[in-house]
Amino acid sequence: MERLGGFFHSRHFANAMPVLFGLVGVVITNLPFSLFGGWIPSPMYALMPVYYWCLVRPDLMSPGWVLLIGLGHDVFSGEPIGVWAASFVVTYAVIDKQRDAFAGLSGWGAILGFATAALIACATNYTITSLYFWKLMAVGGSIREFAVTSVLYVVVLPLLSFTHRKVVGPLRSEF
Amino acid sequence: MGNSSWRISRSRGRAHLPLAVVAVLAVVLILFGKVQSSMFDRARTNLADWMSPALSATRTPMQVAGRWLASIGDFFWVYQENMRLKEENARLKQWHNSALVLDERLKRYQLLLHAVPDPTMSSVVARVIGRANHSSLQTMILDAGKSSGVKPGQAVIDQRGMIGRIYLTGERTSWVILLTDLNSRIPVSIEPNNDQAIMAGDNSPMPVIETLAHGVQLKADAQVVTSGDGDILPAGIPIGVIVPDRGTYRIALFADQTTAQDVEIVDFKLKPEQPPLVTQQELPVTAAGLPPVVPPPQGTGVAPQPVMALPPPVFKPLVQQPGAPVKPGALPADNLDTDVPNAGNQ
Repeated sequence: MERLGGFFHSRHFANAMPVLFGLVGVVITNLPFSLFGGWIPSPMYALMPVYYWCLVRPDLMSPGWVLLIGLGHDVFSGEPIGVWAASFVVTYAVIDKQRDAFAGLSGWGAILGFATAALIACATNYTITSLYFWKLMAVGGSIREFAVTSVLYVVVLPLLSFTHRKVVGPLRSEF
Repeated sequence: MGNSSWRISRSRGRAHLPLAVVAVLAVVLILFGKVQSSMFDRARTNLADWMSPALSATRTPMQVAGRWLASIGDFFWVYQENMRLKEENARLKQWHNSALVLDERLKRYQLLLHAVPDPTMSSVVARVIGRANHSSLQTMILDAGKSSGVKPGQAVIDQRGMIGRIYLTGERTSWVILLTDLNSRIPVSIEPNNDQAIMAGDNSPMPVIETLAHGVQLKADAQVVTSGDGDILPAGIPIGVIVPDRGTYRIALFADQTTAQDVEIVDFKLKPEQPPLVTQQELPVTAAGLPPVVPPPQGTGVAPQPVMALPPPVFKPLVQQPGAPVKPGALPADNLDTDVPNAGNQ
C-alpha cells in the first residue's frame, strides 16, 4: 500500500482528487461525440466517483460537492439546470442512508451496488424531467443510459481503486 | 472492490453542508434554472464557442472511428445492400424524370395564371461538430453561429429531410434541437388529405403525432411535411412517413440525425411586406391638378389598414452545383434573439 510521493503526496491534492474525478467525469460524459451512431447514450462517468468516495471517504465527497458535480453535468449537457444535480443528491442520500449495506458488498456485489445507485439516479432524473416538462418521456433512453453506466463501472472501478490506494488513502483519524 | 481493503469512513466533517440543506438547494436550483434559463444558455453557447476549434479538429478522427464502429455490422450485408441500392437508384431515376417534367409544367401554369412566385430562401451550410445524446436531451452542435447569420428558430435540414431547429446561437456555433427531442413540437401536414397536426418528440427515435383532428384516420406510409402554420417554418419540408403504433401515430423520419455531417440551415423568416411609397404624381388628386391633401395630425386620423399576411413560403430544395460557392446567409434583420424556447424554459 505504498503511497505516491512528491506532489501527489500533498494532502490538498489528495483531498481534491474525488471531486476532480467527478468533474472530469462530467467533461468526458458531455464530450459532444457519439460513437455507435448515437444509439448508445453517454454513460454517467460522474456518478462513479460520487458513489465510490461516498462509500469510502464521505468526508471528501460531501453533499455540497455532489450538488456541484451535478450542476456541472447540467451546464455541460444542455439539460435543464438542476435536474441532474437533484438526481445526484437523491442518489447520494440513499447511499448515505444505506452505507453499511453498500459498503459490505464485494466483487460482483459491488457492481450490483453501483447499478442500484445508477438506477436510482436515472429513475430520479426521469421523474424530475417528466415533471419539469409535464410530459411523459420515452423510457428507452434512461434504460440504455443506466445499462451503459453500470457496465462501464467495471472498467472504471480499478482506476478509482488505484487512485484511492495510491493518492487519496483512508481518513487519518481512522488509523 | 475498492471498499474491501480500506476501512469505511463515517464522518463527513463539520464544515460540510447538511444533506437536507443541499436537497433544498437542488430544488431551488431547478426553479431558478427554469426562471433564468437565458443566463445558463449564454454560458453554454460561450462554452461551445470556446471549444469549437478543438471540436472541429477532433471531428475527423472521431467521425472515422464512429463510421468504422457503425459499419462493423454492415460488412456482412454488403451484397444485399448493394442490390437494394441499385434497385432504389433505378426507381429514383424514374421519379427524377417525372419530377422534372412536372416542374416544367408547374412553371408554365404559374406563368399562364400570373401566379405569385414562391419567395426564395437563403441558407447556410454548416458542419456538425458535436452531438449530445442523453436520456432527456438530444442535440447537435453546428459550426455556424451569429457571425454567419444563424438565428434561433431556423430549420436545419439535410439532403433527405428536416433534422431539427436552431435553439441557441453563439458567435461561431449553434445548438440544434432535434425533432426527436422532448421539447420539439412542429406543425405538420399529412398527405394526401392535408390533415393538420402537431408532431412532438418524446426522446424516442420516432416522434409522435399529437393534436390530430377527431376522427381522422391516417394511413401507414402517408408522407408528413411541414405545414408552415404560424410562419414558424416554410411549408413543404419533407419530414417522414406515418407509422401506426398501438392506437397512436408515429413518424419514421427521413433524415438520419445520427449520421448527418453537413446540414443546411434554412432562413425561412418571412419579412413583413412593406408597400411601396406613393409618389405625388400617382395620387388622383395631384393627377387632377388639385393641391395635395394635408395629412391629419397624428392620433386623429383613421387607423392604418392592416397589411394582409402573406402565405408562408413553400420549401424548395436547393440544388447546389458541385464546386459552386455556398450562398451566403443573407438574413432578415429582425432582432429576434430566442425564437424557440430551450430545454430550460419550456
